[in-house]
Amino acid sequence: MLCENCKIREANIRYTEVINGVKTEHNLCSQCAKEMDMGHYSAIFDGEFPLAKLLSSLLGLEESSQKEDKLQQITCPICKTSYQDFVEHSRFGCPDCYHVFDLLIGDKIKKLQGNDSHKGKQPRFRKMEPVSAVTGNENAPVGMVVTETTSRAETITLLKARLEEAIEKEEYEEAARYRDQIKELRREEEQNG
Amino acid sequence: MVKWFEQKAESEPNIVSSRVRLVRNWDQYRFPKTLSDREGEELVKRLEFGLKNLEELDGTPYEYAYLEELDELSRRALRERRILNSAILNKKGMVGLIVSRDESVSLVLNGDDHIRMQFLSTGLCLNELWSRADKLDDYVNARFSYAFDEKYGYLTSFPTNVGTGLKASVTLHLPTLSLGKKFSSLVGEMSRFGLTLRGVYGEGSENYGSLFEIANQKTLGLSEQEIIDLVTRMAGQLNRQEKQVREATLTNHRLEREDEVYKSYGVLKYARRLSGKDGMIFLSQLMAGADDGLIRVKEPCSIYRMMLGIQQANLQKLSHKPLGKDELDMARAEYVRKELPELA
Repeated sequence: MLCENCKIREANIRYTEVINGVKTEHNLCSQCAKEMDMGHYSAIFDGEFPLAKLLSSLLGLEESSQKEDKLQQITCPICKTSYQDFVEHSRFGCPDCYHVFDLLIGDKIKKLQGNDSHKGKQPRFRKMEPVSAVTGNENAPVGMVVTETTSRAETITLLKARLEEAIEKEEYEEAARYRDQIKELRREEEQNG
Repeated sequence: MVKWFEQKAESEPNIVSSRVRLVRNWDQYRFPKTLSDREGEELVKRLEFGLKNLEELDGTPYEYAYLEELDELSRRALRERRILNSAILNKKGMVGLIVSRDESVSLVLNGDDHIRMQFLSTGLCLNELWSRADKLDDYVNARFSYAFDEKYGYLTSFPTNVGTGLKASVTLHLPTLSLGKKFSSLVGEMSRFGLTLRGVYGEGSENYGSLFEIANQKTLGLSEQEIIDLVTRMAGQLNRQEKQVREATLTNHRLEREDEVYKSYGVLKYARRLSGKDGMIFLSQLMAGADDGLIRVKEPCSIYRMMLGIQQANLQKLSHKPLGKDELDMARAEYVRKELPELA
């Protein structure tokens, strides 16, 4: 049987593919089989992924010297991603990784992107006062950007999530504090409508 | 509601669709990969809550869902329609989904990054899509402060997205240009401009349907407008080249072209079994013939819509049951017979 791809060489590899229960058989010669990406259709949808995978080889290019070995040990204190993890998966664990690995990755990002500094849009809204500033509750969830439209209901929902979490972790003191804050907000809501 | 890809673009033949994708992260959480299930869930719920009135932005109705609530088939169908990418498809933990009814706007929460916004449209309109994405970006940013760095720009999980977090792409139909010997070198040339050009459907070096996507490869060091302009310019350039060679085929090989189009129409209209590959190839030939005025059908129809329609998950979804290979080919033929308008 001739290879179904080149139709020149003898097929010596039978490749059976089962995708979502649909079975297809291909008869290929070893050369074509090697060249073929055995992936399924529509490589495009995977588009955001393979480049990153390739990248790990680029990032890891320099074989580890002693210095490099030491660098591998550097670990992000926030998410515990080590430099080695980053090189392996080409993926950061949190925004802080960029600062932790800054000196190590600068060149590599430049190699990858052809540039190492951002030139485009800046966020229109930077970090603002946490919810506590608006509600007067010191322990309200931090981080929610408060705009005029951040409603009391919204804050209550956030607090509820935190409350549930605290209960789960058996941090009852915390939980009680959230409970009181929710109560307080509910009372305000009733008064002010 | 009519989906975005069901509207026949009147503008340019050969230009199928435009897409703008933006990734952003909230500075209060680690990136999804290092979040616990619990934290992921909290993130999704909080994001979703903050974005629950998205409709007020442009009056478009949105639907909210969690990926885990959808069955396997629906998820794969969403992937075929480009709302999801395959990396998100199999992600563990909670993933939020906000999709406009016409599916032209979609947000994925807690996928590879916290927020992935995507705008799709027929025709070549990256500028318009970017300005809409820019607006949505500000709307989201007003509620959630972004992980941003003065040097690296918007911080993302993958270093391939850092900076603008912007991917702009155009899908083109290049049936004749892609046949030429020079085409593969053209693909290589693109990387010199920081762009990628690749086939949308097909395995290995083969391409079914002659659809190609051009997109920016780099996200750092260029402004959003520069990226949009670059991709727009190159897409226009490819389109012009395709037009040139197509015109040449119309003068020199008109009979062959007509024959090809009518044969394709015949197969599509009367076949009882149609493989995915054949379906794409014949629809592509029909698309080229219709664009060049070689064939005319009674009602206006979007051939791209049919190309999406004959994909596996969509056909299985339509028939409400799993299909074997033969059944799938039968369902595909049936779908095309039903959707294809009569000749004018």
